[in-house]
Amino acid sequence: MDFSLNEEQEMFRNYVRKCLNEAGQTMVAREFTSGNTSGFLKLQRKLAELGCTGITISEEYGGLGLGALDLVPVLEEFGRAVLPGSYLETMAFVVPLLEKYGTREQKETYLPEIAAGERSFSVAWVEPNKSYDPDVIACQAEVKGNSLVINGVKTLVPDGNHVDSLLLIVRTADKSVNGDGLSLVLIDVSEVTNLKTLSSLDETRNVTEITFENVEVPMTHVLGEVNQGCSALKEGLLYLHAATSSVLVGSMDHIVEMSTEYAKIREQFGQPIGRFQAIKHRIVDMKLDLETARSLSHYANWALDTNQQDKEAAIYSARAFATEANIRLASHNIQNHGGIGFTMEMDCHLFLKRARFYENYMGSISQFREDVSKGLRWSDEKPSFQLTSK
Amino acid sequence: MDFSFTKKEEKFRLELRNWLEENLPTSWPEEEEAYISFLKDWQKTLAEGGWAGITWPEKYGGKNATLMQEIIYHQEMVRADAPPTINYVGIHMVGPTLMQIGTEEQKERYIKKLLTGEEIWCQGYSEPNAGSDLSAIKTSAVKDGDKWLINGQKVWTSYGHIADRCFLLARTSQVPGKKHRGITVFLLDMNQPGVEVRPIVQLDGRQEFNEVYLTDAVCYDADIVGEVDKGWQVMISLMLHERAGIGAEVFTLEKQFNNLVAMTKEYKVDGESLIENATIRQKMADLYARSRGAILNYYRNLTNTLKNGQPGAESSIDKLLVSELTKEMFEFAVSIQGPHGILWKEDAPFNSQWQEKYLYSYGTTIGGGTSEIQRNTIGERVLGLPKDLRA
Repeated sequence: MDFSLNEEQEMFRNYVRKCLNEAGQTMVAREFTSGNTSGFLKLQRKLAELGCTGITISEEYGGLGLGALDLVPVLEEFGRAVLPGSYLETMAFVVPLLEKYGTREQKETYLPEIAAGERSFSVAWVEPNKSYDPDVIACQAEVKGNSLVINGVKTLVPDGNHVDSLLLIVRTADKSVNGDGLSLVLIDVSEVTNLKTLSSLDETRNVTEITFENVEVPMTHVLGEVNQGCSALKEGLLYLHAATSSVLVGSMDHIVEMSTEYAKIREQFGQPIGRFQAIKHRIVDMKLDLETARSLSHYANWALDTNQQDKEAAIYSARAFATEANIRLASHNIQNHGGIGFTMEMDCHLFLKRARFYENYMGSISQFREDVSKGLRWSDEKPSFQLTSK
Repeated sequence: MDFSFTKKEEKFRLELRNWLEENLPTSWPEEEEAYISFLKDWQKTLAEGGWAGITWPEKYGGKNATLMQEIIYHQEMVRADAPPTINYVGIHMVGPTLMQIGTEEQKERYIKKLLTGEEIWCQGYSEPNAGSDLSAIKTSAVKDGDKWLINGQKVWTSYGHIADRCFLLARTSQVPGKKHRGITVFLLDMNQPGVEVRPIVQLDGRQEFNEVYLTDAVCYDADIVGEVDKGWQVMISLMLHERAGIGAEVFTLEKQFNNLVAMTKEYKVDGESLIENATIRQKMADLYARSRGAILNYYRNLTNTLKNGQPGAESSIDKLLVSELTKEMFEFAVSIQGPHGILWKEDAPFNSQWQEKYLYSYGTTIGGGTSEIQRNTIGERVLGLPKDLRA
């Protein structure tokens, strides 16, 4: 029995923490929101040098060949700093899909560059006024000879203006006609002409809308089989949501630290406010949520790496719990800080706004809970436990 | 990260499982007196099999169990629905304390009998005006010749009505401004004229705890544990001994959640299983996340205990989390039975097992340190927040 991250994982955390400390932690996000991205770009290069961008990439393509659990400390540290960028989407969505479904040529094209920190990805999935339901995807890609011709609009694409490439989900056939009718396309942002940045509550991530008008890409850019995109997406989401839960844990970790430290030094009525149980007990409840989320998220990533039977339930329960708790904690953090918590000057608002970004990102809390129920097969099985009579 | 048990540990599990298969009682008596003697018999059976005080050294009839074996023990006992240990105070408090600091005479006199359940122990801690503020106890012990005369009142004394002996905290001197000093631990004989036990009926109708009135009750020097006036230290060192923390409660929570899932599949309203109701299913998924989280937290703290030899302050999180969650879970279990949830005993769904657990669960966030005290402990010891002002 050993439920802890190992020494190497904790050591790597320390390197990342040190790197983020030198960059000024949340300062990077703050500068980013005011349009100054130089600190962020510099930090990205440093994190790549450290090896962050190669963790889950196999060794033959220049990575470290490690698993989801090895990403956890890095993601937690990024969550602590409310770091901008699409590390999450690149490492925990696109990389696992490339590793599993990519052709040799695709792997050779993308993986070494990702590992070196020279290529990042975002995901273009949802469309205006639509949900993440794969069935409603309408962005059309028509096969013409050896090419795909794409027409349609994708919105809420995170950091579309910063990344190098997109994983684009398109409809290549009607759902009923052929498989699920969806295909995944790897496309460079430079191919896209019509990209607009949207205003967002969370300014630490740029949300963009992309319109495709007869954009032509070679068929070799399709990841996995044509018209069979759905199962790949489902698999990618397991990685993405396990990883997202770690980012959320990182944010919560910083939030609890902020509230605790402030309650120790802020004095009212001649004493630190942390002595008052109204404050103390609330921070303890926040700590309980944090540790619960941390346990769920560590286990989820382990279950994913080791392909446990309960991995779906583990991942979606971690994601559902951490998402809700993160919003709650970010809100309490503002209240614990009083007036100063209500200002732009304090970091409290950064965490709250990022919490809302993740709330409905690639799913929703109620959907995640349904996925837990499906993972545990609550609806389609007879009672598996004998009810004890008294 | 590794959630597996070693071959040696699994062998231990199998050994216990086999023993339980052969020795577990098949029926539990309903009637109070029969139930008590049933529990005493069970304890005797456990002791004879070497399964009563497994963490104890072999020379006292234990198995010298490792922490992991202790965990497995809790898992298997919960899995088998084994009856509770009636002499819990004896085995988990009195025995270990006497082994550590008891006199040879005390060890000889008490340890074997408490292991076999021949002598049942109760705990004389709380008083009407000393609950969470335990060091405010007023029950006094005054030296009178070769005797100590004890006067005062204890309350919430579990099993006091059937106990032969009491692990009693009494004040032996007053140190102004230092309430923790001047307290002494006595081993009190409950079968004497100066001890009067009055039962208290709990809100769930059960009668497990009592008021104990002490009027010139007698103890002797030989009944003192450790030193006079040093009882508080005895109590603290005892708490550090509890390496496995609340293992039994954690595994019970896991089992009860699984039972709850089964209930929501089986119980039908208007022809539809409760689990088919989306609102209920959503809440169930939330309870799943939180109960899994509590269990995993426990494993994480356990890992620390394994590495450091003793539990860290973080283990105080387990009790608060598990007891609050247990209460919420049973509250939900009754709530989703709709209007029929108000029924009781054999008229209620599932013979009111959920109603009974629900009512009983209110005790879990009070006994063994209220949730408010737990929050103070976590706030101060884990987070390092300033201490409450205490008189």
